[in-house]
Parts: sequence; structure tokens; C-alpha cells
Amino acid sequence: MDINSSHRLRRRLLKTAHLIGLFLAMAVICLPGLWIVLSSLRPTVEIMAKPPVWIPESISLDAYRAMFAGAGQGGVPVWDYFRNSLIISVTSTVIALAIGMAGGYAFARYRFKAKSAIFLGFMLTRAVPGIALSLPLFMIYARTGIIDTHFSLILTYVALNVPFTIWLIDGFFRQVPKDLAEAAQIDGCTPWQAFWQVEFPLAGPGIASAGIFAFLTSWNEYALASQITRSVNSKTLPVGLLDYTAEFTIDWRGMCALAVVMIVPALTLTFIIQKHLVSGLTFGAVKG
Amino acid sequence: MKLKKLSAPVLLLLPAFVVLAAVIVMPLLFSFYSSFTPFRLTKPETLWIFVGLRNYITVLSNWDFWVAFGRTVLLLTVALNTEMLLGLGLALLVNKATHGQRLLRTIMMFPMMFSPVLVGFQFKFMFNDNIGFVNNALQSLGLTDRAIPWLIDGNLAMISIIIAEVWSSTAVFAILILAGLLAMPKDPVEAAHVDGCTPWQTFRYVTWPYLMPFAFIAMTIRSLDVARAYDIVKIMTDGGPAKRTELLWTLIGRTAYADARMGMANAMAYVAILLSIVFTVYFFRKLAAARQQIGAEW
Repeated sequence: MDINSSHRLRRRLLKTAHLIGLFLAMAVICLPGLWIVLSSLRPTVEIMAKPPVWIPESISLDAYRAMFAGAGQGGVPVWDYFRNSLIISVTSTVIALAIGMAGGYAFARYRFKAKSAIFLGFMLTRAVPGIALSLPLFMIYARTGIIDTHFSLILTYVALNVPFTIWLIDGFFRQVPKDLAEAAQIDGCTPWQAFWQVEFPLAGPGIASAGIFAFLTSWNEYALASQITRSVNSKTLPVGLLDYTAEFTIDWRGMCALAVVMIVPALTLTFIIQKHLVSGLTFGAVKG
Repeated sequence: MKLKKLSAPVLLLLPAFVVLAAVIVMPLLFSFYSSFTPFRLTKPETLWIFVGLRNYITVLSNWDFWVAFGRTVLLLTVALNTEMLLGLGLALLVNKATHGQRLLRTIMMFPMMFSPVLVGFQFKFMFNDNIGFVNNALQSLGLTDRAIPWLIDGNLAMISIIIAEVWSSTAVFAILILAGLLAMPKDPVEAAHVDGCTPWQTFRYVTWPYLMPFAFIAMTIRSLDVARAYDIVKIMTDGGPAKRTELLWTLIGRTAYADARMGMANAMAYVAILLSIVFTVYFFRKLAAARQQIGAEW
């Protein structure tokens, strides 16, 4: 009886500790983001208040209104940056996906010489630090006159995304049994048809999440963009974020609002792909 | 006619080869060449003067460079190990949860999608000595009555950067290790229980070996983009105060764009590239080995 009750007590304690730990961890993860959202809604006076005001007294969307009102009021041409970001990210994603599908399919379906060496070689191009890569790209783009254009950034991001896209898509194609395409070919499909009508639909969700991942990489990239872009012509949102910092002062509220604008699409997309992303990355961990 | 001779995989890999060669390999070869010249952006003609290894000798005998190098390695070691441990803990916590796992998983991925620039800015805001969340909270709770200069004191700034880095990247480890936990067969753990293993022993000798490949995948992914820490540091301190948080990457950026000494910066960049490549190859090897081991045992 005594052993029973002490055992029960211990279990309950463990369970409470687990819940508290979980709650604390989630709080640490969420808090910074929530703080940004909250700050973007408060007047600057409240952000600057000393002693701090914890419970907001007034909430308004002024920061967003000022931001989207254009260059006249907020001073930062958010619309232009948003458009640049969108054009560059979408275009580079589509191209990277096409190249990645071809490459990933080759890795998943064919045997060829030096396969793992080539795979590692592709990955190593991704490991080059952005700032180190930006030096030659800056020189070359400046010389050829394509600096500060959408084209230069798109080209760069395609190259940046291809290795990881290949890794993910390789994993997804491996999950599709080889026999299916073979069966389709026996039934009279050309290899091309077999690919598009059988293998592609099955790997589809995985490929979509690889695409979203590529999109997010381009959407968030800073080290290269900060050097290759110069003006409203091609500046992306991450670079634009710095427009809110002057030499000694920072418009915290405006910056928070822009941060929210940047993070909302990213979060939505992440939510959609989370399941596929993990399965694509870990495939092969169990099956070699 | 000649095109037909190419086999399917070559043809399929060709676009990837072309793009990577054009945008990454060729520029890197060019920058390799320019690392042997005293090239300055302001004097284009200096690109054609060959000085041999002079840049490398200057860089390698420069004390500031080695300090930045050591600090980068220190940051990576501390950050990656902390992320690994916290990620493992987080994965175990979430795995144990009986309700709302899907929601917890989504929240867990939250920081992963923050652009590093945003992470840097967000923590710059939170660690601000005057209006930051951290100081406000500490003061309101009465733990301290003065403003702690998080980003102004050299050591504290480094700690703040590590916290930001860990916050943003622990998710990668947590997610992948959790995937490993979910994919793991239940029998070996139960068998270990039956055989009288303590929870620690079960974890150390049964669960952990299964999780190794997943941890290495996470490590490989992280080593592919460790240099993203540049964005965080650039925003939070930009190498300051008084170069106390200067990393290899910020030093390269400053030498190249602020001082316009491209040749010198390229020589430094090559050291940074080598560092990244060593990291990646090391974990890639580990990953392959761990996969093989698991494959053999299953």
C-alpha cells in the first residue's frame, strides 16, 4: 500500500515536471516572436517607456499603415522590396526545382561512376559561406553590369538552392518504388510518360515541399543580397529591414512591423510542408 | 547525333553542373586567382599584378585574423553542442507528450523559418540595454536594478550572439531527432526494460545509437549553412564592441567592402571556405558511417 502510493506520487511528480519543462521550452521558442508582433502594434512611446509598460494601453495598426503608405511617410519603399522579394524568390524556386528534379531523379534511379563523390561535391558548393561567395560574384556582376538586377539574384539563388533541392528530391523519388514506372512502361508508356504520369504525381507532395524550402531560402537570404543589391531596383525584404536603422537610432516599431510582414508567409508555408520536409531529409537514415 | 551518346544520368545532371559551375565554381576560381593579387576595388588595374603568396602570408601572420578564426571555431563548437543537447532534450520532451503532438511539432519548427537577419534583429531588440525585453523583465522582477549592457560588453555580447544562434537553430536538431524517435522500433526498448536496464542505460545503449544517423543529418545540414551566423552577428553587433565579437565572416566583409581590399579578403575567404568544407566533409563521412552501421544491424 505504502509502496503503491509513493510510486503514484513519484509518477505524478514526473508528469508535472514534464509538463512544466514542455511549457517552458515552448514559451522560450514563442516569446521572441510574440514580442515582435506585440511591439509592432504599440505606439513608440510605450516601447521606449521607462519603467516598462507590460500591458499595452493602446493598440493600433499605425506602423503597418505608415509602412504600406509608401516612401512618402514611412520612408521605406516596402512595396518595392516586397515585389522584388516575390519575383526573385518565385522565379529562382521554379528554375531550381526543374534542375533539382532532373538531378534528384538521376541520383535516385541510376547507377553511375563516382555517384557519392558527385553528390558530396554538390553539397560542398552549398557549404561555401555566402559572404565568401559574394566577393567574386560582386566583382563579376559589377564588371558585366548585371549587378543590382533581378537577374543576378535569381541566378545566384538558383545555384544556392540546387544542391539542397537535389538532396530532398532524391529522397522523395527513392520512396517511389521503381517497379511502378517499369510496369507503366510495359503497359506501353514511353519513359517520359511514365515519369510524368506515375512517378511525378507520387513524389509530388515531396517535390512541392522542396520547392517551398527553396523559396524560403531565397526569401530569407541576406549575406549575398546585401552586397549584390544596391537600390530599389532589386533590394529584397531582408536587406530592406536595415533601412529602419539609422546611424544611432532605430525605428523599432517600423522594423517590428516589417518583420511581421516577412515572417507571416514563411510561417504559413512552413506549416504546410512540415511533414514532408522531415520525411524527405531523413529518408535513407533508416534504409541507407 | 552526338547528344544521343550521352547517357541518361549525365544528361539529367548536366543542368545542375552547368549552373553550379557558372555561379559557384568559376567565381571561386576567379577569387582564388585574385587572392594572389593586391586587388583593390578602387584600383581596377591592380587585378593584373601578381604577388604570389603575399596576401596569405599577411593574413596568416595577422593576429586579428587568428583571433577572429579562433572565435569563429569557439562559437561553432559551443553553439553546435548546445543546439545538439537542447534539441535532443526538446525532442524527448515532445515525444513523451501524450496530447497535441502535432501542435507542439509546429511550434518547434517556428524558429527555423525566421530569416537569420530577423533573428539578429529580434535579439538585438530583446537584448537592448535600455528598452529590451530581457532587461525590462529582470528589472521588473527586481533581480537587478541596473541595465545590463548585453550587447555593449564584449563577453556578454558573445553570449547574446550564442543565445540567438542557439534559439534559431536548435529546431533543426529537435525536428530531425524527433523524426528518429518516431521511426524507431519499440521492441528493443521494451527488451531492454525486461532485461532490467535503468532508464539511463536504455537511452545510452539502445535509443541513442538509433538516433545517431538523425543527429548526423542535422549536423550535416547545419554545417552546410553555419555561415548564416554571419547575418545574425552582422545585425546584432557588426563585430563590435571594439572587435570583441568579430568573426571570420564579418572580418571578410569588412576587409572587402569597407576597406575595399578584395585580394586580401579573398585570401581570408579561402580560409573560411576550407573551414566550412572540412566541417561538411567530416559530418558527411560520419553520416555515411552511421547509416551503414544501422543498416547492418537492422
